[in-house]
Amino acid sequence: MNPSWQLLLVLIISLEISFTHRLVANLILIVVAAIVLLRYHLQFKTYLRLLLIPAIPATALAVTIGFFSPAHDWWFAAVIASRIYAYVFLGATVTVTTTPLKLARSLEQNAHLNAKYAYGVLAAVNLAPRTISAIKTIRASARMRGIQLHFYSPILYFKAILLALRWSDQLVLAMESHGFVENQSRTVAEPILTSISDWLIVVMSIVILQVLLIAFP
Amino acid sequence: MQSKRGFHLRDIIFLALIGILFGVIYYGGDFIYNALTVALTPIGFGPMANDITMGLWCMAGPLAGFLLKRPGASFIGEFLGATGEMFLGGQWGAGNLISGFVQGVATELGFTFTGYRIYNWFTVFIETLTTTLVTYGWDWFRNGYDHFKPSTIIILLVVRFISVFLFSGLLVKLIANLVDRTHLIKN
Repeated sequence: MNPSWQLLLVLIISLEISFTHRLVANLILIVVAAIVLLRYHLQFKTYLRLLLIPAIPATALAVTIGFFSPAHDWWFAAVIASRIYAYVFLGATVTVTTTPLKLARSLEQNAHLNAKYAYGVLAAVNLAPRTISAIKTIRASARMRGIQLHFYSPILYFKAILLALRWSDQLVLAMESHGFVENQSRTVAEPILTSISDWLIVVMSIVILQVLLIAFP
Repeated sequence: MQSKRGFHLRDIIFLALIGILFGVIYYGGDFIYNALTVALTPIGFGPMANDITMGLWCMAGPLAGFLLKRPGASFIGEFLGATGEMFLGGQWGAGNLISGFVQGVATELGFTFTGYRIYNWFTVFIETLTTTLVTYGWDWFRNGYDHFKPSTIIILLVVRFISVFLFSGLLVKLIANLVDRTHLIKN
């Protein structure tokens, strides 16, 4: 499916279930998203993570609403818990089925997002693996001088900002020397197509969701 | 950094990088969040973990606002950071975009109310206030806060304000002061 349409659909559904309290719709969304995820044959570890991580906030909210609230509303507790699973599963369908590059291209071509946003963020995302080691280096070099940098130390963030400044300068130079010019029309190396089926899937899904939300508790 | 209004490629990469770098720094935040949730659930305050850590998640936005001092900086900083985290394997997937959007609006409002002219401790207070109220309003719907006991609702709100003030206010201002002294970002 076209990444932009898919993202739009997931955002619409997530927003709509945030403001409605329907258990059946949430459960059906979870099942559908799970089927999509299963079709991609991910690693077992990924599935386990998807199942376990939402369990913590979901249980916390359910227990607080079911046990500690005046109404002891277990039905509402189930709605909230299932909704958290629906969010996480739906969100995962986007990140699992597409790559940052494909999404950036699609957002530029199909959603007409300004290229500087699409590729600027992509450039930063591609540096992500280096950011992890960079933060480790900052911490280690501080420790060598006997300074422990915690997550609440301004110096740690300050050094990270200096790094971001330097890297963004270098990335801009690199992109410009490869011919990237802001606000210029661009030719497309790899077109991302939108088909009728994308339209159909989005429209049908939204219609079905409304029916589920209205008809079932 | 260019001084003209509007955002250039360099600013966009810079803001997205800050979001990602900060995400790496408080990656441990996820662990704290989960541990707190487990510890607080038996006494009926499980959701409080969300409020305790809220200040951390919202840091990129106000910082971008204080550094670039331009309309939209705070929103774009927060939203791009969330987008970056989405692909770093954040536990919420595309849901990050929605919370990034809400938190972006929340932090941006603080700078809007001070007219993008004042960048002192008063701004810190206003920005903390809007961040607390808007993100709380969002959780009111999303996490069903309206079903909690009135006392719980008030305690969660106060805890969230303290967290947002300490991290997205105090700490952000201290960092911004450090960066301002280097004169690396010209406005």
